[in-house]
Amino acid sequence: MASPTAELSHLPKTDGSANFAYGGYTITAAVNGPVEAQRRDENPFEALVDVNVRPAAGVGGTGERQLEAILQPALRHLIPVRNFPRCVIQVTLQVMETPENAYVNPKVMQPRLNLGIIPALLHAAILGLLTAAVPMKTVASATCLVITDADGSSVKVDPTPAEIDQARSVHVLGFTAGRDLLLAESEGSFSADEWATVLQTAEKVCCRSQEAGGDAEMGGYGAESENVQQFMRSVLEAKAAEGLHWR
Amino acid sequence: MPREAEPSLSERTFTLQAISEGLRLDSRKLDQFRPLELSFGDEYGVADVKLGKTRVLAKVSAEVTVPFSDRPFDGIFQITSELGPMVAPSFEVNRPTETEILLARLLEKTIRRSGALDTESLCLIAGQKCWSVRVDLHILSADGNLIDSSCLAVVAALRHFRRPDTSIEGETLTIYTAAEREPVPLSWLHSPFCTTFDFFGEDGEIVLVDTTWLEEQLRVGSVTFSLNKHGEICQISKLGGKPVEATLIIQCAQMALAKSKEFTDLVDARLAEDAKRRDKGGLMAELSAENER
Repeated sequence: MASPTAELSHLPKTDGSANFAYGGYTITAAVNGPVEAQRRDENPFEALVDVNVRPAAGVGGTGERQLEAILQPALRHLIPVRNFPRCVIQVTLQVMETPENAYVNPKVMQPRLNLGIIPALLHAAILGLLTAAVPMKTVASATCLVITDADGSSVKVDPTPAEIDQARSVHVLGFTAGRDLLLAESEGSFSADEWATVLQTAEKVCCRSQEAGGDAEMGGYGAESENVQQFMRSVLEAKAAEGLHWR
Repeated sequence: MPREAEPSLSERTFTLQAISEGLRLDSRKLDQFRPLELSFGDEYGVADVKLGKTRVLAKVSAEVTVPFSDRPFDGIFQITSELGPMVAPSFEVNRPTETEILLARLLEKTIRRSGALDTESLCLIAGQKCWSVRVDLHILSADGNLIDSSCLAVVAALRHFRRPDTSIEGETLTIYTAAEREPVPLSWLHSPFCTTFDFFGEDGEIVLVDTTWLEEQLRVGSVTFSLNKHGEICQISKLGGKPVEATLIIQCAQMALAKSKEFTDLVDARLAEDAKRRDKGGLMAELSAENER
């Protein structure tokens, strides 16, 4: 699979914006905040994190609302919301492209949960928040995994849409830079043991960079998937270096 | 949400003074567009238009539905646009502003009602099945002249789009996936383009094209022409503002025609480039099952 690409601060009017593309998904994130909240949603003790997911085609429906409901608490844990009472941090995530499946004709209205898109949405949102200079406690990354065969022995990281369709169960797990579990969503049938395997694999995939020479012990899975946290760090470093070029 | 800041008094005086002297803040001529970039995505039917800091992305999608009962021989074609907090924090989700409604209506008049897309060709089985073609216009950033760039994006995306091929044998309709048969283009009749002219000065005697957001806030009136390269006018809209001399309107129409030809050439050139990029090994002509019109 091609390595991730990102473009930072490419929209002029928002506080922060990022375009993140990986595995066929392209997401544009725009972040405004902290801005004054409207009377009806202001909270006197903490900032409101307002996540808005827009589909590439069609108007947002229940599927998008569910994605928002999954992402919102995850982002809320990353931002020190108590530091910004009566404020709102607006995160708009526009889906630009989704991977195509040449064997199935696309349907516009699909009121079903699309777990495969969550990692891309989360990564785009985090890059957007970082470029908007919203204070954050930590960064995070997520990954999508599928269990394909009946005995649950093989776990595949970053599946294609066709693999997701055929999989027995699909899992999305997110970890913070401190290796804490941030989000876990699963779909399909699986046992507790299988979930434990998935958890272990996901942790290795997400937090690989932190251990020196981690790649050597990785073995089979994850070798083909990029380390997104490291990638985010490198693009932000490049952006910062570019910004300080005049010095 | 915070309201968008209006231009300050000094900003206003300075800009208007400069325009009356024939100067623009970005050192363009009065009748000069900003550099226009049009690019297509990996998928069919995605067009990305950049006009200065204005950026618009149009995406076309199609699916099979039941036609409206009063129009059993027509397919469904709709254009939707939404301005959200991505453009500026002052735009709220699910609360359309005046700009958005005007944009939607203008695109509707220009592209849908001018018959640019042959909706009868979208009918599969009369009264039972038809294609529903939908254009989603995503405005990523707005820095003036949203109408012209949106119209260009929609036209380019529709011309770039390919829908799945179908065949009918008796009563059974087969829709082929991209793996089975190469998708086919829509039946496109003509390409209308919008050109907006903005009027400045006491009596609206100074004409500017492709205004930025700042200039757009200071204009005394504006008129939008929609026409194709053959000079067939789809609509002219002048919504309020100062009255303008008739001769000036005719001059504008001439300029709009020249601009429309320019846009047509640009879209044709980009489409040809994209077709070349996709046509790896020159097999596209053999793969295609479509007949010449």
